[in-house]
Amino acid sequence: MKDLKHLIFFENLLQDAQNELVQQAVNEGKRALGYNCYYVPEVLLNLGDCFSTRLRAPRCTSPDVATYYMTGRTCPYVRSILERAIEGGYNHLSAVFGSESCAAMERMEEQLYLLKPIKRDDFFVTIIDPPLKGDQTNLDYYKVQLKKHVLGAMERAWGMDVSDEVMRAAIEKFNKLCRVITEIGNLRKLPNPPITGYEFHVIMLVSEVCPHDLILPYLEETLEELKTRKPDPEFPFRARVVLAGSEVDDPEFTKLIEMCGAMVVADRYCFGSLPSREEIEIRDGESAFDAIARHYLHWNQCARFMDGMKIDQRHDKLAELVKEYHADGIIYENMKFCEFWSYEKVLASHIMIEENGIPCATIEKEYALGSVGQLRTRFQAFVESLEIKKINAEGGV
Amino acid sequence: MGKIIDLIDDKLKVFDPIYRAENGLGGQRDRYYDRTGVAKYREWRGVKDTLYDYERWLINVVSMVKMVASAPIPIMKGFWEYRWMGSYLGTFMFIDRLFEGYRDQELRVAHLQMHAIVVNLTKRIAYILSHDRRLGASMEKSSSLLPMDETLPAFFTTGFPDLVPMPLQTLPEFIICDIDQHIEPYYIDVAESFGLPADVCSRCAAETGVALDDAFPLAGKAMIATNMPCNASEATSMFQRRRIGMPDYVASMSMIHNDEDTALPFDRKIMEEVIAFVEEQYDTKWNWKAFFKAAKNFNEQNTYELEKWDYMKTGYTAEVGISETLYKLFEWQSVNGTDPYFNKVDRKVMKILRKCYEKKYEPFGGKTRHRAFLWGPSAVYYTDFPTWCQNAWGLAIVLNMDSTMGFNMISTDDKDKALDDLALLTTKACMRHMAVGGWDNINAVWEWAHNFNCDMVLMNDNIACKGMLGVHSIMEEQARDLGFHFIFIEHDLEDSRTVSRQNMRDCVNQYMSIVLGEEPLDPTIITFDDSEAF
Repeated sequence: MKDLKHLIFFENLLQDAQNELVQQAVNEGKRALGYNCYYVPEVLLNLGDCFSTRLRAPRCTSPDVATYYMTGRTCPYVRSILERAIEGGYNHLSAVFGSESCAAMERMEEQLYLLKPIKRDDFFVTIIDPPLKGDQTNLDYYKVQLKKHVLGAMERAWGMDVSDEVMRAAIEKFNKLCRVITEIGNLRKLPNPPITGYEFHVIMLVSEVCPHDLILPYLEETLEELKTRKPDPEFPFRARVVLAGSEVDDPEFTKLIEMCGAMVVADRYCFGSLPSREEIEIRDGESAFDAIARHYLHWNQCARFMDGMKIDQRHDKLAELVKEYHADGIIYENMKFCEFWSYEKVLASHIMIEENGIPCATIEKEYALGSVGQLRTRFQAFVESLEIKKINAEGGV
Repeated sequence: MGKIIDLIDDKLKVFDPIYRAENGLGGQRDRYYDRTGVAKYREWRGVKDTLYDYERWLINVVSMVKMVASAPIPIMKGFWEYRWMGSYLGTFMFIDRLFEGYRDQELRVAHLQMHAIVVNLTKRIAYILSHDRRLGASMEKSSSLLPMDETLPAFFTTGFPDLVPMPLQTLPEFIICDIDQHIEPYYIDVAESFGLPADVCSRCAAETGVALDDAFPLAGKAMIATNMPCNASEATSMFQRRRIGMPDYVASMSMIHNDEDTALPFDRKIMEEVIAFVEEQYDTKWNWKAFFKAAKNFNEQNTYELEKWDYMKTGYTAEVGISETLYKLFEWQSVNGTDPYFNKVDRKVMKILRKCYEKKYEPFGGKTRHRAFLWGPSAVYYTDFPTWCQNAWGLAIVLNMDSTMGFNMISTDDKDKALDDLALLTTKACMRHMAVGGWDNINAVWEWAHNFNCDMVLMNDNIACKGMLGVHSIMEEQARDLGFHFIFIEHDLEDSRTVSRQNMRDCVNQYMSIVLGEEPLDPTIITFDDSEAF
């Protein structure tokens, strides 16, 4: 396939947290608000003169100082974020909107106010206590948390207007971005998609880390380009897989899988688009804030949800993705030391294989892409097994 | 009579391990067969204390016999069905080891409290096994039990006097790991052979293994899970609900529970939903009268606990070390207000403690060198760590993390207030109020240590606890700033293969000898191999 016009530009934007679009927005007087987790609604961080930027620590290979503070036995993602903060990589942030989604993440967010590595006088950290169930009681609690620790924090710090009108405007803009990404992502459902999983991963990431206003024109142009982009004459991969699990913010990981012969057709992981780029619908009589809270609690498929309804939802949704994106199997990954996905990976892969008949591979990964040889062997073996299954299903050779 | 006893004590003092250690003749470890926890003979503590100790041993044996006699067939079936049942045979060794070096009043307090635990636990084992469907009990019979996550305090069940709470993990996992360090690695291996990574908390891995091994007793109509205390326990609940396969309600209490204006109303709502769930599933009604009655018992226990703390803040108390923390843990987690025998024991203990304070009684013959606050969970128990600290180095464990669980009173006449109180109490449960849920909880260590006049903090460092690892060096830096002696003691909670008991002891040994330059009180227990002990 012909290279995408903006791919190199997008790739460059992912080389630093403070990339040129982020810097441009900050220079224009906008406030950069960092966040880590889907539990903090991205749309709420794009009210008024604020813009959201999901925190990554690109090219962080050795988080030594963070390891001193958090030991080498905690999630390498959160250590890398802390390391980058200590290195001065987030000094453009006005605030971090944290979430007690897991103990390691909360501890890292706490270190941001205990160690004060982000050198801005007005910088602050606020942390929500996110719900563990999808019912009404937990939705109400979610709203209380968002009101106090997100909207309340903005009002207190900057006197922000968080009225329904402002939120509706933010939703409208957010939905526009979602439509573009979703349309691009849907191309992966085609038998021979005009986009690779790697390319989509890059596109998805820039939409999360860059100011929406500034990145949207590039994304729209890319969508138009993809509509007419000619794929290779034959589908160049040997299999199609859904990648599911914990945090993946390095597109090289997707590239690694694809170099082993499996196209990543659906991205159901933290930082992925499924969920993340669904449009927010405001129902009749509903306030914009209520719609946001309902939307995020409904779509959230984090492995920390404990109630049967949400557990079933995340398994069912994944099985649906396999069908919808015509995938041959699922690769479950978890960040090393991630307790939630360590458990979920084991249970869900069992359910997928035994109850849904969907082949699964499970792997554990570091934040920085290491042990590539071992991972490559695992992925290649999985691709081969998928091929054999196909051959057997077609009646054998 | 007194003179005769004194004469005998004087003649036989060479058998007293404390005397032997003081005089270079040996010490506590001499009594044991190498590498085991099997003693060749009982500890000689002088005539009175030895007879008292032996009498209490016999009384505990009687409780065990009563347990078997009350349900002989289910008990025998339990031994056949459940691997963990066999570990309860190590209970007596466990108790003996816990109270090594205890004399006089601290020995009496320790045994009174331990017997309460033994009585409650033996009755509980007999009751649960005789109502266990895996062992042949009918659905109707087993329906009197309400299985629930053990970190959800059983207190709320007092509003259902016709139901018996069954803290699900307590028998096959929690208590037993304290008694026998070799039992949980089997269940951990079961979980890991299913694919669970080895870097998750070993407690939750063991729970997962118990679930996969179908080793949870099966009783009740529906179960209550909870998110407490931490991420791994939330995750293992998925396995448990799936494997046990009963209707469940997840009591998802707030994690950042100190944020009372937002968390308390939510937690209260959760408690209301728990009650409604039980009412629906068990076709029963919440009984306020029964609840308030139990609240009075609970408040009495709580009042005593707070009074005990006042004595413990001084050096003049017989409520010490592992005796204090184990009792508090069991009383709070499993009993709270449901067993009047504990109130009876509390009253007896308080009489002793008041006298001790009046007489300025110093435990362990006044040989305490440092007062330490111990921040640690289960690994404290199977290593009999507080006892060892005292006997080896004169470190008095004044208070343990488990003792700092919720201590608010419960309203005994105002329904609305009582629900708030219940929610508040529940959120301040074991570990989740300490190791997770926000910086304030862990930062409280220093205040606790300061209030209890400690000069030392022993921080049990669970190598898989993500909540505590995340603040590792901040704690070290704070200890230095605040002037506390501070020792990290690495352990792997329920997997003693990763970090052995000796590895844990060495953390203290090295600090005491290298940093403080002190000599041990008993050199026989500084480095020894007890890897085969229960």
